[in-house]
Amino acid sequence: MSLPQLKNILRAPTFYRLLSTSTACQKSQSGRYRITPRKDLPLTYEMANPPHQIAHRKTWNSINTSNLEGGLRSSETAIEDIFIRKFMTGTWHALFLSEIIIKRQHNIIRIAGIVRRSVSARKMYFLIGYTEELLSFWLQCPVKVELQTVADRRDVVFKYI
Amino acid sequence: MMNISKVALRSRVSRVKLTSQLAGLATTPDEKIEIPKRVPRGPTDILRALESTVGRDPTAAHYKYHDDPYLIPLSNNGKRVFALSQEAGRKAAHWIRREHADLFQHREADPTIEAFVPPMVFDEKSEVAVTDLQKLIKTAQVSDAVVVYKLLKEKGAEVAPELEQGLLELVCYQNCEDGLSDEFIEEKWFKQSQKGKEKLRKTWKDGDFAEQLFMNLPNKTPEAYCAIIQGMAKYYQVDRAVQLFEEAQQNNIPLNTNTYNSLISAVNIMKESFDLRWSLVAQFLNQMKDAKLKPNLGTLNAILAALSSMGNPVGARKYALMTLSQFRELGIEPSLGSWSLVLNTFYKDRGPVSTILHDIINLVENKEHQIRDLKDVHFFVTAMETCRFYLNDVSLAKRIDRLLHHGENYNLIGDSYKESVYYRHYFALLCANLPIEEFMNDVYYKLIPHIYVPEPALMAEVLNQVDVNGAIEYVPKLWSDLVIFDHAHRENLIEMVLNSMTNNEELLTPELNEKFATVGWDIFSRFDDQDSYKVSRMKVALSGDFLGKILLLLARNKEFEKACCVMEKLDRNQQSIAGVPKVEALDKFVDLCIEEKAPSRAIACIQYCVDCGYGEANAMAVRLHKKLTLDEVFLDKLTKIVGDISLAGAKDSV
Repeated sequence: MSLPQLKNILRAPTFYRLLSTSTACQKSQSGRYRITPRKDLPLTYEMANPPHQIAHRKTWNSINTSNLEGGLRSSETAIEDIFIRKFMTGTWHALFLSEIIIKRQHNIIRIAGIVRRSVSARKMYFLIGYTEELLSFWLQCPVKVELQTVADRRDVVFKYI
Repeated sequence: MMNISKVALRSRVSRVKLTSQLAGLATTPDEKIEIPKRVPRGPTDILRALESTVGRDPTAAHYKYHDDPYLIPLSNNGKRVFALSQEAGRKAAHWIRREHADLFQHREADPTIEAFVPPMVFDEKSEVAVTDLQKLIKTAQVSDAVVVYKLLKEKGAEVAPELEQGLLELVCYQNCEDGLSDEFIEEKWFKQSQKGKEKLRKTWKDGDFAEQLFMNLPNKTPEAYCAIIQGMAKYYQVDRAVQLFEEAQQNNIPLNTNTYNSLISAVNIMKESFDLRWSLVAQFLNQMKDAKLKPNLGTLNAILAALSSMGNPVGARKYALMTLSQFRELGIEPSLGSWSLVLNTFYKDRGPVSTILHDIINLVENKEHQIRDLKDVHFFVTAMETCRFYLNDVSLAKRIDRLLHHGENYNLIGDSYKESVYYRHYFALLCANLPIEEFMNDVYYKLIPHIYVPEPALMAEVLNQVDVNGAIEYVPKLWSDLVIFDHAHRENLIEMVLNSMTNNEELLTPELNEKFATVGWDIFSRFDDQDSYKVSRMKVALSGDFLGKILLLLARNKEFEKACCVMEKLDRNQQSIAGVPKVEALDKFVDLCIEEKAPSRAIACIQYCVDCGYGEANAMAVRLHKKLTLDEVFLDKLTKIVGDISLAGAKDSV
């Protein structure tokens, strides 16, 4: 241990803060789920696979080319994707059972996911029409919603931990 | 696509020529390789070529619906509701964008895409310019255009005469009303066309903006006269239209062909009898001749439309043929709309049946038709209707259907109402005339449910054909379809299903027996379950006859428990159930009870028979007594029901 560091430690406490400017990686925590004592936390297939399985056992939730070399609008794409996810979970309240998958091809955005059949089909159609139209006004490109429905939320459970 | 194949063909032909010549070593020096001319392509040609390879898949729902079992509509109501719900959602989004226009002012795309930008809102305080008016007229936004025009006038801005003419044409065409936006196609598709109902009613808005604008025009051009007369004639304000027409004639204002056309189509309101109407048509045509105007397709259709709704079918037919031949000489080819009007003229309820439809189909077959007149969308439905009601000709119907599916002709089907009427006629015609197996395999399974969902009357027709032909193997499928299509609460259909299941006993197989019992039990439980009874629109309870038939079906398949349920219901609700079951069903049930060794059930049934007044109760009692050894209690009961004598006789005979 060098002398200045020792000095610092031995110094009397002052109003003194440290700032880390690099992003926290938290590699051992993010995208993973902790085992519960009762082993009753339901996980979908997507949740059950930790991030290092992306492109092996599961795929990305946002599929676009903005982060490839020469890709355009990478920061805008990320912000828009967050907006879309928040919009979807809010508009389709407590209906989505899966992650919201956002696929971009040319100028089209396709939003996919699995929803519960807890509202009638006609309400679902209303929401589809509303979502597609409002998001396309907001993002100013064609937006399509591609849903699959399941009868029960347990249908998407892959395992319990 | 066609061009590509042509080119390929041509080059192949020339190659074949070349090789054959080489083989024969007979090369002539003047033989040249023909290089095909370059075909100019548009930006979307490749997409069109690809699209032409994809047809309608009858096993899948229309692509406007979501491809998910829960979201695929199977009944007519479902199709309508789902598509319109989605459009309602889109409208909600439009509303939000309009209400919060300030939030939607960002510009993502360069150049800006107009469709994503909130619409301009105009009121008394808006700052407007002439270009706004120009844009509004171009996009046919009637009420906004009117507001902007008034604002411009107030401010004293100079509006060019061409712009005023454009505005006048717009308001005359739309009758000062905003039309349905192109954005909402489902609403257009599902809107029941009201035109037929209010056909001859004046809907022109008297003294509204169109007339004011016309009156205030500083110099009234011939175009202005044309616009206002056409508008009035279109919305049946015929008196004023004629008045303006005469005014124009007196002042030597030249009018165009379309104005005459609109007046000709309104002839039936102006005059009463056939002769007067026809002479008026002739008068207009002569005036056109004097004005040296060349008639067009609109003229032809206007004349035919006038003729089709005149009385006197004989005269109308004669004049229709004359008109057609004259227009052929003029080189004006009739559109599909003209043919549908000809059909209306030739096929009336009275009079001999004409065969002109064959000639028409010969003319229009194997061609791709474009829309050339608004009436063109009536052709297919009229042709199929004629085919069903007057000609009853399957091969002709198939030719019409082939024409409809040729190229992009399906665009001419009109709207959802016309489409379903078209298929109703086609379906009914085939149902009545094809062998039942062929009908079910080629038509029913193909068209239903994604392309067409039959109405209750047509389902009755199909059930009837199935019953008549003894093709009872289709009944379970038809019943499940009835349930899906929301027809399962209709008494006449239930009756037909039950009848065809019970009547054709000689055709039964064990498999069918089982299926029929399931269907019977399904019908029974649908009515028995009080909750679903309220939810579904079942008005009536099952009658005694229906219950008897269900009992028979269950007894045939030896489903004792379920049969007992039905019997109990019959027995318990004797007062409330209308009618009584047939005795065969009860007889069968007693046999089943004997087989299952359940004398108490059998005795209850015999009691019920006696209550209903069936003489066969005695025979049943005897049979029960014979087949089963009854203890004292049961014997006592039986004696009480049918009396001593018969039992004694039975005992003797045993």
